[in-house]
Amino acid sequence: MKRSDELRTFFRSWAILLTVVSAVHAADKPSSTDDPAVAEQLAVIARVGPLGAGSSEARIARDALARRGPEILPALLVAMDTRNVVAVNWYRTLFEEIVSRESAQESIQQTRAFLLEYARDARRTSRPRCLALALIERNEPGFTATWIADRLGDPEFGYEAVAHALAAGEQALRDKNTVLAKSEFRKAFEYARDGNQVSQAAAKLKTLGESVDAVKHLGLVVDWWLVGPFEAPEKTGFALVFEPEQRVDLAATHSGKDGKSIGWIRHHASDKLGQLNLIDAVATTREAVAYAYAEIEVPQAQSVQVRCGADDNCTIWLNGRKVFGREQWLNGTRFDRFITPITLSAGKNTFLVKICQGPQHRDPEVPNPWSLQLRLCNAEGRGIVFRPISPNPDDERAQ
Amino acid sequence: MSSSIKLQSCLMLSLVIATATYVQAENWPGWRGPQRTGVTTDTGVPTTWSSTGNVLWKTSLPGTGISNPVVWQDRVFITAAEGRDQSELHVLCLDRDSGRIRWHQRLWGTAPTVFYYPKSGLASPSPLTDGERLWVFFGTGDVFCFDLDGGLLWQRALADEYGPFENRFAAASSPLLFQDTVILQCDHYGASYVIAIDGNTGANRWKSDRPEAWLSWSSPQLTQVDDRFELVLSGSEKLDGYNPVTGQRLWTVRGLVRECVPTPVLGAGLVFVVSGPNGAHLAVKPGGSGDVTETHVVWRNDRGTSFVPSPIVVGERYYLVDDKGIASCLSTSDGKLLWRKRLTGKFTASPVAADGKLFFTNESGSTLVLDAAADEYRELACNELGEDVYSSPAISQRRMFLRTTKHVVCIGTK
Repeated sequence: MKRSDELRTFFRSWAILLTVVSAVHAADKPSSTDDPAVAEQLAVIARVGPLGAGSSEARIARDALARRGPEILPALLVAMDTRNVVAVNWYRTLFEEIVSRESAQESIQQTRAFLLEYARDARRTSRPRCLALALIERNEPGFTATWIADRLGDPEFGYEAVAHALAAGEQALRDKNTVLAKSEFRKAFEYARDGNQVSQAAAKLKTLGESVDAVKHLGLVVDWWLVGPFEAPEKTGFALVFEPEQRVDLAATHSGKDGKSIGWIRHHASDKLGQLNLIDAVATTREAVAYAYAEIEVPQAQSVQVRCGADDNCTIWLNGRKVFGREQWLNGTRFDRFITPITLSAGKNTFLVKICQGPQHRDPEVPNPWSLQLRLCNAEGRGIVFRPISPNPDDERAQ
Repeated sequence: MSSSIKLQSCLMLSLVIATATYVQAENWPGWRGPQRTGVTTDTGVPTTWSSTGNVLWKTSLPGTGISNPVVWQDRVFITAAEGRDQSELHVLCLDRDSGRIRWHQRLWGTAPTVFYYPKSGLASPSPLTDGERLWVFFGTGDVFCFDLDGGLLWQRALADEYGPFENRFAAASSPLLFQDTVILQCDHYGASYVIAIDGNTGANRWKSDRPEAWLSWSSPQLTQVDDRFELVLSGSEKLDGYNPVTGQRLWTVRGLVRECVPTPVLGAGLVFVVSGPNGAHLAVKPGGSGDVTETHVVWRNDRGTSFVPSPIVVGERYYLVDDKGIASCLSTSDGKLLWRKRLTGKFTASPVAADGKLFFTNESGSTLVLDAAADEYRELACNELGEDVYSSPAISQRRMFLRTTKHVVCIGTK
């Protein structure tokens, strides 16, 4: 070989190696295999993207890797720790094919320590963690049920851990061990971030004579000032601007639907998950808009999330600045439907929320709800601590 | 008759029988069968069955779903979804004769949503095959293409590419095959669109935005006017015709109500569309351009419409059962009511027809068999399967394939 050819070959090899390394690096997933051929094929799959790009190359790489055995499972799991969900599915078809082979079972057992460590690692993306756990479960039926109990607070397994605590509490009740039952339900309540789980744990504790505050736990805003209904024909309500959007004056009266004079009223949402029913609180009506206003106080400035659901649509102003708006008629008020990051100021913060009411379906039996649910929490869904303020319209002109 | 003539006659008869058998052994390649109308030329499907009688096999399914089984020769394809956020997706291939699982692919959905309808989960759209490839679409917005042995060929994560599906019950529209493109109607709260994807590569052929569209779970339909193909989309409050080659909108008919689920059906040169809960049935002459509401609506009937089940046309009759079980038969030519009857139970599944019979399956798994040749309501049988059914049946090769809430059940005679 000539010197120039040698150099060309040398540089080409380096170029290939660099391409592989950069592709793997770009996908944020270092390979755990020492075999460069495996790393290169994983990197080919990592390059699949939108519009079906890279699929035919991925198929070739996938088929080549499918001829390997369980020794590549750790590398596959590491490769799966990526936000490229298309690539993840390519890896997964490969993973499933390898683990389904009868001959692979013993070798899989040898990777148990890696699988367990991987499943434990909450820094990794959720789905491959579940896959690692499922593989242990496949060889050790019943493992998950006991392991999951310690995963309270885990972003992926936390829900199941709370469900486990709730089930353990129920079992303790059946065993007439109320001390243990209370302990399990308390634990479930403390770690629950899902509305249903919070309600369930709270109800169980109540039957055991222990009172907990689900509203505070979730950071639900339940004390409101309301005004409405404003006239908003058909589906114009989301775009129409009424006086409260320009200035909130709790002592003011406004011209409402059908020319009626409307003013702000105080309302406490007594629903156990803080859902505000505007039909009960404001009016049974259609093609209208209502506003809800609340003031809260926090000790220091902080970044939090406002999580809300409303029927219909939802627009939120924080301290006079619009922070969220979504036009979705018939969207339904569902727990944590919309999540928006916001920054609260130290001291007083004001929330103004606009909720529309759409036209009645031509069938009068079709329900037409009008409601709002709004809470303030951290990124993990735990309600933040705040103090509701009750502004006095006689001596305070809000905002 | 000489022996040679006898032999010739026997051979001819054998050929006729063989040909007839071949012609009648039709596949069920996607949502609502070979023409997306619920009708097949297949014959010999049993008229009677029970939870055990005429049940050839029964195979358990993971998770939930209301996609209908798809049948191609000796393979049956079905989808399902499960998990707290329904992000665990399943694609299964069963053996037509035994129900044995030939392959089972497990995948993750790109944009899992907690906002799905418990009855259907995120596996509402039915699979689609051309005999070489299988395309599946899920409520997560993911489209997968496999070869018939289960090998992944490509995936599109539409929710990642064009925004998450914001839809009360998750996307439910079933893919349509036009030549070598897979067409998907993606109507939802967010930016709605219709997209044509190269069936071989997954690349876009075209994408047409539908900014005025809103919630809809209806599946696209294909019709032909002279030598022009038209893609027909039933969306909230209107019906649109598109050029399936370019994605250009051709015509619009107004007058539907919000939230359309049923798929338009074809017959007598017309497109029949059902318009949302308590809307109207419309018979529309395809073709034209622009707003053809005043010129192309042949008839309109404001009574007896369904929210979910699609209609079916057999001969000159148009049949529909609404969600509460009121069945109607209208004349295709003028929309006049021929008969109306309250059936037992509630309905989610759409009716199917074969061999001069109509099959209406209710949510309790009871299938009413009606005579499609009769001018009046004529019941032939009522078969109890003993399991809840929300999915529309498939008919292929003298068998019916019913997806219950737990199984795929194959009904036929041995």
